[in-house]
Amino acid sequence: MIYDLKLWFTPSQRGRGLILMLFVSVSLFAEKTEYEAVSDRSPAARSLLFGIGRTHQLDTYLSPMEYRGIQVSFLTQSERMTHLAKRHISFQSTFFGAYTHTDNPAGTADYQGGRLAYDAAWHYHYSPLLGLDLKGGALVGADLGFLYNSRNGNNPAQGRFSADLSLSAGAGYSFLVPLWHGRRIPMQAHYQADLPMIGLMFCPEFGESYYEISQRGVGHDIICAHPGNSLCLRQLLTMDVCFKRVTLRMGYLFDIRQSNARFIKYHDVSHSFMLGFVRHFQLMRVKN
Amino acid sequence: MKRLLLLLLGTCSLLLSSCQHGELSYDTTPQSNLDALWTIIDQRYCFLSYKEQQLGFRWADLHAKYSAKLNSQMSRAQLFEILCQMVSELKDGHVNISTSLDLGRNWSWKEDYPENLDRELRQQYLGTDYHIGSGLKYTILPDNIAYVVYESFADAIGEGNLSDMLSYLRLCNGMILDIRGNSGGELTNAERLSRRFTNEQRLVGYICHKTGTGHDDFSEPQAEYITPSSNIRWQKPVILLVNRSCYSAANIFVRNMKEMPLVTVMGDQTGGGSGLPFSSELPIGWSVRFSASPSFDARMQHIEFGIEPDVYAGLDETLVLEGKDSMIEEARRLISGNSEAKALESPI
Repeated sequence: MIYDLKLWFTPSQRGRGLILMLFVSVSLFAEKTEYEAVSDRSPAARSLLFGIGRTHQLDTYLSPMEYRGIQVSFLTQSERMTHLAKRHISFQSTFFGAYTHTDNPAGTADYQGGRLAYDAAWHYHYSPLLGLDLKGGALVGADLGFLYNSRNGNNPAQGRFSADLSLSAGAGYSFLVPLWHGRRIPMQAHYQADLPMIGLMFCPEFGESYYEISQRGVGHDIICAHPGNSLCLRQLLTMDVCFKRVTLRMGYLFDIRQSNARFIKYHDVSHSFMLGFVRHFQLMRVKN
Repeated sequence: MKRLLLLLLGTCSLLLSSCQHGELSYDTTPQSNLDALWTIIDQRYCFLSYKEQQLGFRWADLHAKYSAKLNSQMSRAQLFEILCQMVSELKDGHVNISTSLDLGRNWSWKEDYPENLDRELRQQYLGTDYHIGSGLKYTILPDNIAYVVYESFADAIGEGNLSDMLSYLRLCNGMILDIRGNSGGELTNAERLSRRFTNEQRLVGYICHKTGTGHDDFSEPQAEYITPSSNIRWQKPVILLVNRSCYSAANIFVRNMKEMPLVTVMGDQTGGGSGLPFSSELPIGWSVRFSASPSFDARMQHIEFGIEPDVYAGLDETLVLEGKDSMIEEARRLISGNSEAKALESPI
């Protein structure tokens, strides 16, 4: 018996069916591929966290008052072990984005801000005890952002740019938490702090307008940043709870960005509660 | 590793102790707000030394003078009035206190002088079938002279608007560019329009900014040039009509046009306002505006109190009654005389 498919399926369903058949055919007839692990020491991990918290912002280029409000953010991080130093060194990349909305104490003006940051870190790992992992190293990063004041005239916004080399250290501890009927749930606490030591940052002169900056370029407004004029710190404390198929991550992010240069004081201090998940996997390469 | 951890822990405690707070905190007391306003002007206002010299006051003395007028029982409106009186001593239209009650201002730069402008009369010259190119209104007068009115530099003008306007007016003998009553706006509009009146790059002035909190902490003045537009440019005489209401970006435009060879500035001295304004705020939440970056002319002279015209002219009230704007008529006479003289000079 021959059925007329036109009577049974709509055109879009037929299209999707053809694509599915093509995919199944390719899967069935494809040559079986063999893989091998890139590293046998530790799997790689990738996490995605979303956060919400409070932030305090001061930028005397825009206002002498400290503005307070909320921050929503995301943080995606991936970490894997490398072959360096007998596989004791890991590579970590972090991408962070945030949007802030803050008000002045009188409630007559507000800031809107945005920030994107990327950094790459290399850590040396050391395990003095079973389950405890200490790490220390360095990271290079770049930070881009803005702060916009809805009320100001010719100085309505301040741009942010910095690129720096930081010290980084952290610790991780894995443990099992007993549950009912002898079941135990694996958990991991992790802490990491990053401290910028030297770099470059954008900072206009005290009374320099963006009109002038647009006329003569930003070259002379890029200055050296160091802990003497820009003392910053990012701390991330997380707790992973491993379920059967997914690892849930909760965290607290405490981020201080501040500078005091060219008679302009700036700070952005935020506390955020982060929540997301982690995906553990093992890097494989195709076997020749 | 241990050292690194100790270093980080030490830095964390240092950070927590060194974290900056706002320079000011929320405060509605009169004295705190006067102090904050006085300090903002003292540290950030760019004409303080110049104004002290020209107007004969000492900013340091004004703090005590106006503090004596405060009392803890005074209302917000009374505080606002005292603060406005203090900054009015600067005689700067760019210094304002903005509140929900009122806008604090000193507009003596235009209010103390005749306006030399009758807007209804100006409209009669434009007629009813004039062209509008964004912020520009223009027509051709019966004696083949272009008449262009630009009322505010806050009204954007595009390159296309300017090209179309100059193309339409290209057969005229000259142009009357009337910016009377234009109290400023965007500097980029002033620059864009200026570029249509020169065939070569011209030095028009200088700009600098404060680099510190001292009264005379300024950056090296940076030369400002007007480069010719790559689009259609005006090659005939221009009479630029100005009055005391030409302020801020309009004042800068007049500064630029004074360096153009075919331009004659006619009218009264401009209102001034050569400081690029910045904003800040007081602990009570009121916004404060002040001049932050001073501009100078091509000879490095202050233009904060205005620019003198090439030809002084005012509005003759008797001619107004006859339906004539004496400044426009004088400009027409100058352009017609100029074109007749050129016709006589040119070989037959």
